[in-house]
Amino acid sequence: MAKWGMVIDLEKCVGCQACTVACGMENTRLPGEHWQDVIFFQEGEYPNTELKWFPRPCMHCENPSCVAVCPVRATYKTEEGQVLVDWERCIGCKYCMIACPYGVRFYTEEKPRYGGPDVKAVFKSGDARSWDPPWRAPQEDWRHGVGVQPHDVVSKCTFCYHRVSKAPKGTADLDPQNPALREFTPACVVTCPTGARFFGDLSNPHSEVNKQIAYKNGVRLLDHLGNKPQVYYLTGEGGSVPAERASKLKV
Amino acid sequence: MDQPILNPKITRRRFLQATGAAGAVGLGLEKTGALNTISKVHAQPAAEKSGETVITKSFCHQCPARCGIDVYTTNGRIHAIYGTLDNPLSNGKLCPKGHYGVYLTYDADRIKGPMKRTNPKKGRNEDPKFVPISWDEALDIVAARLNVLREKGESHRFATLTGRGWGYTDVGLLKEFGQLYGTPNYNLGHSSMCSDASEFVKHVMDGHHAYSAYDYSNCNYLLVFGAGFLEAFRPYNGNMQNWGKMRTKAPKTKVTVVDVHLNTTGSAADRLLLTKPGTDGALALAMAHVILTEGLWDRNFVGDFKPVAQPKDPDAPRPPEPRFETGKEIDVAGFKEIWTVGVAEWWNLELKDRTPEWAEKITGIPARDIVTVAREFATTKPAVALFERGASAHTNGVYNGMAIHALNALTGNMFAKGGLRGYQMKTAWAKLPIKVEDYQDEYAKSPERKKPRIDLAKTKKWPLAKNMMQEIAINHLKGEPYKLDTAIIYLTGGIFSGPDCTKWEDMWREVFVIDTSPYPGETNKFADLILPDHTYLERLQIADTYPFEGYPISMIRTPAIKPLYDTKVFGDVVIEIGKRIKGPMADYYKKIGNTENIIKWMCEGFKDKPGDNGVVDFETFKQKGVWYRKPYAYLQKDGVFYEWDGKGYNKVMTPEEVKAKVMPTPTGKFEIKVTELEHHADYVKEKFGLPPERAPFPQWIEPRHGGDGDLHFVSPKLAGQAEGRSSNLPHVSALIQPAQGGKHDVYLEIHPEAAAKRGIKDGDRVRIKNKIGAIEVLARVTHTTRPDTVVLPLIHGHWAQGRWAEAKDRLPTGSTNEVTENLSEPLSGLACYHSGLVSVEKV
Amino acid sequence: MIAKQEPKSFGEVFALLSRLYREEGAVNFLKLCFTLGKTPTPAGRWWMWSSILTVAAFLFVMYQLVFVGHSSFNTSSDGVNWGMAISTYVFFALISSGLTMIASLAMVFGFKQFYPVAKRCIFLAIITLASGFAVLALELGHPFRMLWAMPTGMQVMSPMFWMGVFYSIDLVLLFIKFYLLWQEDWDSPLSKFVGAASFVAVILASGMLGLVFGSMVMRPMWYGPFTSIYFMLTAALCGAAAIVVTTYMAYGFDRRNMGPHLRELAEGADLPKVFATLIGITLVMFLTRFWVGLWSNLDGMDGFHALVRTPLFHVELWLGLVVPFVMMLSPGMQTKMSHQMTAAFLVLGAMFINRYEFIIGGQLVPMFKGMWAASLLPYEPSATEWALTVMGIGMSLALYALGEKLFHLSAVPPTLLETEDRPAYA
Repeated sequence: MAKWGMVIDLEKCVGCQACTVACGMENTRLPGEHWQDVIFFQEGEYPNTELKWFPRPCMHCENPSCVAVCPVRATYKTEEGQVLVDWERCIGCKYCMIACPYGVRFYTEEKPRYGGPDVKAVFKSGDARSWDPPWRAPQEDWRHGVGVQPHDVVSKCTFCYHRVSKAPKGTADLDPQNPALREFTPACVVTCPTGARFFGDLSNPHSEVNKQIAYKNGVRLLDHLGNKPQVYYLTGEGGSVPAERASKLKV
Repeated sequence: MDQPILNPKITRRRFLQATGAAGAVGLGLEKTGALNTISKVHAQPAAEKSGETVITKSFCHQCPARCGIDVYTTNGRIHAIYGTLDNPLSNGKLCPKGHYGVYLTYDADRIKGPMKRTNPKKGRNEDPKFVPISWDEALDIVAARLNVLREKGESHRFATLTGRGWGYTDVGLLKEFGQLYGTPNYNLGHSSMCSDASEFVKHVMDGHHAYSAYDYSNCNYLLVFGAGFLEAFRPYNGNMQNWGKMRTKAPKTKVTVVDVHLNTTGSAADRLLLTKPGTDGALALAMAHVILTEGLWDRNFVGDFKPVAQPKDPDAPRPPEPRFETGKEIDVAGFKEIWTVGVAEWWNLELKDRTPEWAEKITGIPARDIVTVAREFATTKPAVALFERGASAHTNGVYNGMAIHALNALTGNMFAKGGLRGYQMKTAWAKLPIKVEDYQDEYAKSPERKKPRIDLAKTKKWPLAKNMMQEIAINHLKGEPYKLDTAIIYLTGGIFSGPDCTKWEDMWREVFVIDTSPYPGETNKFADLILPDHTYLERLQIADTYPFEGYPISMIRTPAIKPLYDTKVFGDVVIEIGKRIKGPMADYYKKIGNTENIIKWMCEGFKDKPGDNGVVDFETFKQKGVWYRKPYAYLQKDGVFYEWDGKGYNKVMTPEEVKAKVMPTPTGKFEIKVTELEHHADYVKEKFGLPPERAPFPQWIEPRHGGDGDLHFVSPKLAGQAEGRSSNLPHVSALIQPAQGGKHDVYLEIHPEAAAKRGIKDGDRVRIKNKIGAIEVLARVTHTTRPDTVVLPLIHGHWAQGRWAEAKDRLPTGSTNEVTENLSEPLSGLACYHSGLVSVEKV
Repeated sequence: MIAKQEPKSFGEVFALLSRLYREEGAVNFLKLCFTLGKTPTPAGRWWMWSSILTVAAFLFVMYQLVFVGHSSFNTSSDGVNWGMAISTYVFFALISSGLTMIASLAMVFGFKQFYPVAKRCIFLAIITLASGFAVLALELGHPFRMLWAMPTGMQVMSPMFWMGVFYSIDLVLLFIKFYLLWQEDWDSPLSKFVGAASFVAVILASGMLGLVFGSMVMRPMWYGPFTSIYFMLTAALCGAAAIVVTTYMAYGFDRRNMGPHLRELAEGADLPKVFATLIGITLVMFLTRFWVGLWSNLDGMDGFHALVRTPLFHVELWLGLVVPFVMMLSPGMQTKMSHQMTAAFLVLGAMFINRYEFIIGGQLVPMFKGMWAASLLPYEPSATEWALTVMGIGMSLALYALGEKLFHLSAVPPTLLETEDRPAYA
């Protein structure tokens, strides 16, 4: 059984947010529902000022606190390692959002923050979906949190479950440059223009993701919390993983 | 009736199957069966009666790069766009903008068909009261106006204003239209509001009026002046792909960025030099000074001092070897140049005093940093120095650009592997078997038709400028050289994006405006007639690449879906209007038939020159989406030019061949002493006050800043900002990088010192104003900009672009161009967007 | 007056109601239900106005939920996830727990002087818990799904799962206990067992509610075993304050209406002492919590610095805790009804703020939002969220008035009964 994981090379990442957009398109997300967000930090003073960033998908933790807190077992971890939400069980209590150290979960029954009318009202759904835009992707699987969600549930990155779960068994690496595997690779990995993302089987010692982690000293976000993310960052020379969850707060 | 040329058997539009083995598998299998696990009692809607997912090849519309895209369609709906894997531009990747097509196609505010205005009053707050009409009626209205103009002998008062043209099937048709109809204003391009200075610099120095092709993946040092390399510089997708390579290859490419504020490019680079706006040229001159004084120039490309004759007597005092010494002139005759012209004179006239200490005073960059960068740049080979509008959209922009471009020559990186690789080669299109001259009537041929263009480009006023779009509104309002009567607007909107943009509103009140955009917008608000285009995923269209790696690339858009609404592709609109003009012109367009015929004919050229990917005709072109033939034909190495002979760069080129094929300047050399400016020394003197002998050389000229106030104002383009049409996409508003915006608005970046002086706190609403106008915006007090510069990205501020763009509570209140003076660089005509002055106050 | 005597079984209740319906006709019957009696009484008025308030608030909330959905809340995925609805729920749930604890003083621990408030405590515990649950249900996306998804999921790792289990057990036990008291079964073995079990359940429930927050290591402002203790002990304070307020309400704010045992309790020093002790404990915990919060440099604790700068913090600390503490400690003030009342009101107010400050404050530090949220997260309750809180308060008041009317809440065990009378106003 594969244990899917992701490696993000921050030395290559340029903060273009193509991953965010590709994810939103592939998974028919609402504006601002950034399953795969890019987090920016500004530090330092002029003229030696810096802007840092890192892409933040769901970490699909080995010890996911969101799974542990869900009172109805709507959030669960699959055998292949994805942390998913069953939209037919979710009661919308948002405890998982409270318990996720990485802030990757969304409850979309919220006031739109992008200005102008609510896209959910413009692209109204005639059925149980919470909205229904013309560009809605065909895949739909609510037990795995795939598709346009119904009202009042929590949504999150699925590691593109609808793609990855169809990969041939025993695949070590989902390389989007390989035409045979491209369609099984998560959207963010497919589109990443700098090639900063790798996706593969962490349980296979020969996989590219393990190689990258070993060669370039992969680190995990907030590792002291013990959630053990299955997303690793390579910090190289140019990149860095923030030690703190928030930018310098103005208190 | 005349038959259209080239057998126009219109085959039924059909979707192309995925080419890769796995193509449609991943997406096509969500048939009803796959969802059986879901209990029926639950509310999930039944899965669609799913057809297969099909992939159509197209190319992107979001920037000039033209990346090949795979458009995923299921049940007649587009739901995904990814980069085409076997496409040399996209390589399966896309930038963030590349994915917007799904939203743009289904934009809730799209125009549903041709319409005409019924409210004669025009204004921002006037409802045009459009009513739908048929295409026939619409085209007849246009033709009737044009026929009347011809009858009155005023056909020059008809103009077409164009933005991003895609090649021969849209903007490329307009030249013939103009020749047949009789107007000099057939294609008033937007390039002077884009980046003409960089093309101009290349044109006068190395002979190519074009953007350069850079060999990033082999480059070891990248010096970027005022180009958002990781935000806006084209080809954005290609830049990022190369960035991934550059930053992880051995040796790692070192990057220095010169800009006026901190952006992702500056932050991702190894070094960011925050220079004073408009002073990039001074920096480059000082670097050239260091390169020469420290003897770091490339002797194979530039040449060297002639050896000094030494006395035969070994005891006699030996004269010193000549060298470049600060403040001292050299003997021009004693310096022998190889592929450059004018280095020695340049030194004597300009460079000898351009020390790093001098530049520090101008730019604010410490001299020590200038020396370091100059040494790194000259000694790390291959290297590239590139610049864009940040350096050139100033009154001194061309001279700044020349100083920067000269660095490439001094270090021998011109046409070199890993350097500035060259310029775009042409695609093997077949020429149409039809001659325009055969269809020109007496009216069109008459000398009466020789009128200046409305923008006065290429006239005495702007002798060297290619286009002067920003002058159109002023010229029209003054009636100089005349007033326009009818104008077609295609993919451009000076009314929002031109400097001092509100002038356009006054102009469009007086002109019969035909807008072709499929979306509402500011121009549309003033339109009399709307002839909506297809959106790009509905079009059949071809294009050539923007300069990428030099070898020729062309691409095709195949419609992924039937047009959603009653729209018509712009090229066919031009042809249909042509068919309705009285005289032989109509016959010309009847022969042409439509754009599909043109495309099919042009593809015949691939039979002799098949693409590297096996594209030999129209059908294979549609399957692959791209035609290309590698490699770039020329290479300079150690001062020798080679031509590709089919196997390698083996053929050594003569100076004559280099002049004809590689550096088509008047001298056949890289001109640091620019012949074209020598010829226009009078004009240069008039505009810059320079003595004739100085006119041809890269040099420091103090920029003149438009507007008035105590802060410089720049309006960069953001990574997420697509061509003109992203502010009505809530998905885009929600992800604008929080350095400049975030979720809802875009912010005015202001340095804490500047903010404190004005009593401005982070998040305050402030007014930006100068003599041109005023807009209001939220302030972001940040260390990402210089204390003398405020930054506001040009994306929001629309007052007519759709329900999200016009969101009531969104800031800024208007276009950045409402506080940008209409001031142009005199040589290239480039609008000086990036140096204006404003004052900022708390509201 | 509906009935001279408290009906003693459901059969009696039904018979009474149907007789009334026959005698009065439908219109008058409904009117009676609305005013709780033919002649106006304070309880009737409380019932009527609170019911109107509750129904109005409920209708507003339902309108918003049906037509706008949970978007009518000001909570946000990028901001504060749990808003005032949750803090209101916690407020009520802990009042309920506290009331059960106070009742246990007499019924489990043998402090007989507290018998006169025991039945009222149990009744109030039921209705405050019901109010809390009502608010929570309207906050949840799919409240009814919980009914099948919790038992089939059996996620034993989830503090919220156990919170649900323990509060459900608590509610069932409260109902049984109240039924037994209604049947005047004060000290049968069953009644004693239910009382003891109820106490255990409420400790577990309030403690588990604390662990819902205390387990969250990624939210340092909540994290730690202390949170559980904090919830239990502040619950007791809430219970004490609530019973003081409601008891005086029941007797028309006049001790002369009280029976001798109750009056003894009210006039004696035991009640204020217990009250003062609970305030004191709360103060210690409160200050400890803020001390650690302000002292620690730990990433994520920054919210404490923001909290102490809000006026609400100072209202809570000085007006809501210190002033009542002094009042209940000072021998001159502690036994006066007005001071007891004031102190109890202030403490309830402070505890409402406390729950809000705890729940919202604990989420103020953004979770990996970088410059998307460059400062502490902004949050203020929306109209719908306010309406939900109003609905909860209204519901408690209305049900209390109803209970006061229908049941003999001041009942004491027959062993104590001498000349105990019904409250004068009823």
